[in-house]
Amino acid sequence: MICGKRYWEYSSSTTTYIRMMAVSDSVIGSRLPSSQGRTLKEKTRYILISVASLVLFIVIWDLASRTGIISAKKLPVPSKLFETFLYKLTNKNPDGNTLGIHIWTSLQEALIGFFFGITIGVPLGISMAWFRKFDKLFSPLFDLIKPIPPVGWVPIMITFFGIGIMSKVSVIFIASFIPAVINSYSGIKQTRDVHTWVAQTFGASRSQVLFTVAIPSAAPMIFTGARVALNGSWVSLVAAELIASTKGLGYMIQTARLVGRIDVVFVGVLVIGVFGAILMEGLSYLERRFVKGGRR
Amino acid sequence: MDSTKPLEHDDTIIKLEHISKTFIVEDGEARVIEQIDLEIRENEFLVIFGAGQCGKTTLLKILSGLESLTEGKVYIDGKAKSRFDPRVGMVYQTTALFPWLTVMGNVEFGPKTRGMGKRERQKKAQYYIDLVGLTGYERHFPSMLSGGMCQRVGIARAYCNDPEIILMDEPFGHLDAQTRYMMEEEVEKIWDREKRTVVFVTNNIEEALYLADRIIILTECPSTVLKEYQIDFPRPRSLVSPEFLALREEISALVELREGVVV
Amino acid sequence: MTVRQWISDDTKETWIYGILGFLLFLMVWQMACVFTDFGTIFPSPGVSIRTFFMAFIEPIGRYTLLGHISISLKRVLIGYGLSSVAGIIIGLLMGYSKMAHAIIYPIFCIVRPIPGIAWIPLAILWIGIGESTIYFIIFMGGFSQMVMNTMDGAQHISPELVGVAKVLGAKENQIFRKIVLPSSVPYIFTGLQTSLSTSWMAVLAAEMITAREGAGWLILSGMQTGRIENNVIGMISIGAVGLLLAALLRETERRLCIWTVRSR
Repeated sequence: MICGKRYWEYSSSTTTYIRMMAVSDSVIGSRLPSSQGRTLKEKTRYILISVASLVLFIVIWDLASRTGIISAKKLPVPSKLFETFLYKLTNKNPDGNTLGIHIWTSLQEALIGFFFGITIGVPLGISMAWFRKFDKLFSPLFDLIKPIPPVGWVPIMITFFGIGIMSKVSVIFIASFIPAVINSYSGIKQTRDVHTWVAQTFGASRSQVLFTVAIPSAAPMIFTGARVALNGSWVSLVAAELIASTKGLGYMIQTARLVGRIDVVFVGVLVIGVFGAILMEGLSYLERRFVKGGRR
Repeated sequence: MDSTKPLEHDDTIIKLEHISKTFIVEDGEARVIEQIDLEIRENEFLVIFGAGQCGKTTLLKILSGLESLTEGKVYIDGKAKSRFDPRVGMVYQTTALFPWLTVMGNVEFGPKTRGMGKRERQKKAQYYIDLVGLTGYERHFPSMLSGGMCQRVGIARAYCNDPEIILMDEPFGHLDAQTRYMMEEEVEKIWDREKRTVVFVTNNIEEALYLADRIIILTECPSTVLKEYQIDFPRPRSLVSPEFLALREEISALVELREGVVV
Repeated sequence: MTVRQWISDDTKETWIYGILGFLLFLMVWQMACVFTDFGTIFPSPGVSIRTFFMAFIEPIGRYTLLGHISISLKRVLIGYGLSSVAGIIIGLLMGYSKMAHAIIYPIFCIVRPIPGIAWIPLAILWIGIGESTIYFIIFMGGFSQMVMNTMDGAQHISPELVGVAKVLGAKENQIFRKIVLPSSVPYIFTGLQTSLSTSWMAVLAAEMITAREGAGWLILSGMQTGRIENNVIGMISIGAVGLLLAALLRETERRLCIWTVRSR
């Protein structure tokens, strides 16, 4: 991310970033977009191709499993997945809970851990960047913990807290705490000197500079941290539930695997994907609401 | 196609015939260039001067092949010009250097894409690097150079591709005044030594008068030729000689008047 | 005070505070072990350090610590290597050609938000338990990030530079090689960095669930046999190796992308 960003700053500032192919014909760094009419027509064509590609994908999938080229034990028919999804909404087989309960459990664990990770991690990162002694005291320790993947904490947390909700929450706490600290730390460190000077010449005190200049200018970075944290939370949640739990989406797919219900595994995996995407989308929405002046 | 087209001047290298350009924008069309007819002579230093910003750059982009034409024809040496003609080189407004290539890599880019051998093209690139005064900076990346140095690399890169016509699109617009004067002298010296046709776009009158053999003054959007001046002052020119100042006054008055009418 | 003195004072301070922080940490750990119930489930710092060094000589399970680590390392390098190559190719394809984007992207969107680890049960049902399952899981762990970053790079090509190359006489295939590829390199490295850390996650999870050797197994077996010190040393060593790999990658990037260094 850093490397890419630098390149951005280097490359020219005024050119509109238009996709390669649209560019190759006519508009090159021009402020006046030409051939709009044609690109619109092109757009609909590409959308049609996308739809066709998706339909083809599902048809091939369907045929492959219906004709038995790939055994239905390994690849259930798409329509069967929909049936299973509806069935799982109300039925507790094979893992003892309905889909709704699993989703609720997972979301609860992920969001609680994420919330604490962010609310503790961000202020810690900011104070590490702002107070030199704090930085020197905690940085080495933090550098030690930082490279350990959150999944590695799962067994320890299970030993401490058992297989209930606490062990997951604490793993997710670590998974989101670390990127929250790193990003808010480097966000504050990257405050432009000029901005600080402007504030100082207006007579701002050190704490005013922190709250009116440093934190707002670090906000995009902090949100990037939150995004990494949320992603990490969701991944380690699934891992933790796969390894040891009694509820949750990870547990659901693990149990389904053990009893050989591949349709339930498929549904679970897709639901995990969908909810991961929904969470990320929610965060992006918050970011658009709160970060003004655009990212980067 | 129409290769038997007779030339009006025997030294005409580029001929523009009724050039027009219209952009399609969200709310309709924008006419940027209106019926420009122009002959560019071999080895001349032609300056295109105008206060606005749409027409001049678009004209250069049409000449370089970056923009297509709406109406009209462009001829090089009497033949219709193909889209990207190797006989045309360009120096850009912003530095537009390839950030991942060194100075040497940037300058030798043109010959390399045409498949010239390594030793030959590096010798050639070295010649132009020396010419623009960047000897010793061959291994530097653009991010390590100042704005003026980057423009020098841009000029060397354009010359190294052996074009007959070099287009310069406000190349010194982003430089500070001091560097700008230096670069103008430099460009004049290089032009004097290399003798290629230069088409130079600017919105700075002094720059135009200092460099030009001939100045074409364009109007605001849509651009068309307002007036043409032949500049015969001896080179190198003084920026404060009475004739220079008089002509400068005349052109400013002309452009200001014109703008007053537009607004 | 001269600049030199100031720097040396600053580094001195860094060391003092760093060591102070570390000692504080060890002290709290030790105190917790001695004075609270914490000690009954968690090893003291002394025990952990001793186990760490013993593990180089005495095998835990089937291998010594070094053996477990190198097995994990091998798995990561294979899975990560494959996913990087595939991700870069597909990413460039989708970023460069609108047609390829239209065809692949909708299908890719189904796969993209699924974490690599969630593939574990499916992979076991498809391939069974074995090395290739682990490679597959690591592959899926890094793949989508690799694709997204590379695609981002190939789409954000400066149109101006493409124009420059065309005026200098570059043909369509030369533009791909000489403009699109080099300007995507920084983005590719960003992808390589993030996907390396998810690959590490994936290998740990995969080994915890399906393997009987490797760092993930070591950590999990510590829990199952009640020998938490194995757990601790497994985490420390996986952290150290991860750090080393990331540093190696950063160094490679620094050498390959000298041009991104801002010095103005």
